[in-house]
Amino acid sequence: MFKRSKRGMIGLVIIIIFSFIAIFAPFIAPYAPIEPKFGVGEYQALGSGVGLPIAYQLSKPIWYKYLPWIPRGEITTYATAYTYTYQTFQFLIPEEKYDPNLTPSLTPEQKLSISVNDRIYLTGQVSGVKKVEAKLPNQTSIELIENKDWQAGSTISEVVILHRFPDDTQITVTYTTGVDLVENMKIVKDHKLSTPESFEEWNWTTNSKNYINVTYNSQEGLKITGTDDSGCIQISYKNPPLSPPSTVETTLYYQTFAYPYYEPPKRFWIHVSSKATGIIGYYVDVLIYSENEGKEYVLYSKSMSMGDYSPLVVDSNDPKVASNIGVSSHPQSKVFGHPGNFTFGIRIRFTPQNQDATIYIDDVDCLLYGNIFGLLGTDNAVPYPTDLFSAFVYGARVSLIVGVLTALFSTFIGLFLGLFSGYVGGMADEAIMRFADLLLVLPTLPLFIVLVTALRTTSGTVSMWNIIFILTLLGWMSFARSVRSMVLSLKERAFIEAAKAAGGGTLHIINRHLIPNVFALVYITLATSVPGAIITEASLSWLGLGDPRLASWGKILYDFNNSGVVTSKGLLEYWFWVFPTCIAIALLAAAFILLGYALDEILNPRLRERR
Amino acid sequence: MGLKGYIARRLVYTVILIWAVITVNFIIFALMPGNPIEAYVSKLSKMDEAKFQQMLKYYGLDKPLHERYLLSLEHLLTFNFGISYNYGSPVFEVIMQRLPNTLLLGGIAEVTSIILGMLIGVIVAYKRGGALDTGIVTASLLTYSVPIFFLGWVLITIFCLQLHWLPTGLEQPVAWSRVPPSSIFEYISGRLYHIALPAITLILFTVGGWILLTRACILEVISEDYVLTARAKGLKERTVLYKHVLKNASLPLITNVALGFAYIISGATITETLFSYRGMGLLTYSAIMTGPDLPLLQAIFYILALCVIIANLIADLLYGIIDPRIKYA
Repeated sequence: MFKRSKRGMIGLVIIIIFSFIAIFAPFIAPYAPIEPKFGVGEYQALGSGVGLPIAYQLSKPIWYKYLPWIPRGEITTYATAYTYTYQTFQFLIPEEKYDPNLTPSLTPEQKLSISVNDRIYLTGQVSGVKKVEAKLPNQTSIELIENKDWQAGSTISEVVILHRFPDDTQITVTYTTGVDLVENMKIVKDHKLSTPESFEEWNWTTNSKNYINVTYNSQEGLKITGTDDSGCIQISYKNPPLSPPSTVETTLYYQTFAYPYYEPPKRFWIHVSSKATGIIGYYVDVLIYSENEGKEYVLYSKSMSMGDYSPLVVDSNDPKVASNIGVSSHPQSKVFGHPGNFTFGIRIRFTPQNQDATIYIDDVDCLLYGNIFGLLGTDNAVPYPTDLFSAFVYGARVSLIVGVLTALFSTFIGLFLGLFSGYVGGMADEAIMRFADLLLVLPTLPLFIVLVTALRTTSGTVSMWNIIFILTLLGWMSFARSVRSMVLSLKERAFIEAAKAAGGGTLHIINRHLIPNVFALVYITLATSVPGAIITEASLSWLGLGDPRLASWGKILYDFNNSGVVTSKGLLEYWFWVFPTCIAIALLAAAFILLGYALDEILNPRLRERR
Repeated sequence: MGLKGYIARRLVYTVILIWAVITVNFIIFALMPGNPIEAYVSKLSKMDEAKFQQMLKYYGLDKPLHERYLLSLEHLLTFNFGISYNYGSPVFEVIMQRLPNTLLLGGIAEVTSIILGMLIGVIVAYKRGGALDTGIVTASLLTYSVPIFFLGWVLITIFCLQLHWLPTGLEQPVAWSRVPPSSIFEYISGRLYHIALPAITLILFTVGGWILLTRACILEVISEDYVLTARAKGLKERTVLYKHVLKNASLPLITNVALGFAYIISGATITETLFSYRGMGLLTYSAIMTGPDLPLLQAIFYILALCVIIANLIADLLYGIIDPRIKYA
């Protein structure tokens, strides 16, 4: 009979799909739902628990690259700002923050004393400013001349306005920029140098050809216990008996790689571990050679001392890296400004100490973080952004567990109290029903909030079980009421009287005669009370009352709401962050309601006739 | 007896409910495991000695439990909620600034939602089984099951960020803090302009429930014998629908008006937070986020419960007037 109910089947299929996702979450989700890291312990010199973020914050879904309408390549765009006078300074405020009601009107004398040296910040990888235009409040447009009215700031992505304009003047900068969808890139294939073949990908040059040899060493590398990755690169220096070189420079180059994107990577992360014997100190330089520019960027130079393996990490977020190549921030924009071929290299420099020396290098890695990642992108968590697809998959677990357990518990409490109050009657009945009325009348969400906050004040956090407990506590009332009214009418039926006359006790009658008769209602209520629990759990998490260590759908929504993306960019740009989750909540809730309706139709003959 | 007895019973019941709400409030904050109030006050002692002494005295924490219960009964009945931890002013004053905003938002949303829901519900019930019925029932189910903040996000994206028709937040224009509105017309239009989006969100959130409920109530009545009789008499279909069916179907709907109000208050908590609309919901959110500000939270819950209880009382009284079985009993 169930097969005939189309709506019920749809509901059931949706529930089965989500249960499948929830049960097999660890196999479906590629990453951990909270603080995912990769390469934990692989860079041994950093420490055993250290791992890397899987991607950059706010990455877009990786399949965006198949969408033809997403702009890629070089494009011309513009930035707009308005002049605004405050006290004696004139500012440029970005268009999105501009409010014409805010600008005060100044007298001409006041305006004369105003100075201006404000700048417009351009976004994206700027390759050139084409035009700067000012539109005065009286709608006349003038084109501004470079170095007279404006000039480039300390980087090309700033335009400094040198001229003073009346308030509410609109200044528009037209410029060219590159936009692209950049995938994560791992430049060094085998950073652990676990096989001799991995060494063949490296080339080397030196200024002391006769004294230096670079080879693969299969013993001295950093080793993770239980794995076979003891290889490393060995730089051997043979001290000559006569006139040793004053400095020895050896450069290891990895295979040239193509960076095909018009937009720089969001971040780069480079790691080298090295150790030395036979010399007191040496320098490790990390460099990237750009073929287009014919220029070598030395990103970092670090002086190391003799001893065991020590790490060198070069992170584009480190302001030192930026200043090393002469920019104030975003070194990646300078290095990877345009598509082209690049070579990653390590240079070892040292002054010989009149003896042979050996330097070992291991765990050499160069990672470029792009702006697309995973099936649903990443969120803005710092420092480990979440893979939203994994969070979504694991979230199904929490939602289903909370929903189903709450429904189970509250339905059985409702069944028990309803049977008890209906069959026993009297004062107990009155007390239970009045209490149920009271709970039904109270505004639910504020009551939940008060309960959860009270719990949190005493115990610090709220676990999933607390939430289930509270939802159960406030979920049994309406079902208890319907069971009671059913029992009241059943009680007067002849078969109950017959059972009583036959000597059946209270328990026997409840068990054998009442429960079977109300059980249809139990199935229906089980199905229809799941959605409320799922949505309430999500709402509580959304308000920040959930467990922050629990990967629930509510946490995704809470993070989105707190990211500020909603009012700055809206759902359109980051729809993949919450859209799947919200749709899943709605689908799951609707599926349980449909299932409940279908059960109602099947188990309730009166409804069947009416249709 | 009749109507008067009914009203008297309802009033007594309301008084009992208020007492019960106060008791529940006391149980949650003073008797729950770990004792939230004591935990909260003892946490204060480390931060702010003056406030600690104030709270200690207000809650009577040095007194035995039954005296504390009587104290809280007295406090809540006289609207003496103590001093808000965040705002530093009496909680009652803080709440009274916010309550009208919430009642306005909730009222507009509730009334619009009921009218819309009943209209659509009647039409859908009358054309049951058709494509329109299936479509609207499915849509109602979906809006009913979509989390309300998602509706809000979608509306913000469409009306604020794409079309630039409506503001994303606040309950009145920002400029009013410097220049108050000059005319009553400007005041009303300014308020409506800001209330529109939260209200639409709430309406979308609740209208689905009303459509489904109206449909169900009408289907319950439409198969009754007296409807058949009315049709057999040769009455016009419209007369049958509005005079015989809707009139009888509206009784259970009225009971649900008060419950719907409680539901809207719940929804408003989230909507207000989403739209930074300064009502009770946003106040709740800030009370959770900063602190928590337990005295404020306690009072908010009590006042919201009072509002819902009063709404219930009004609905019950209306029910008594409309339902002839009570009037002439």
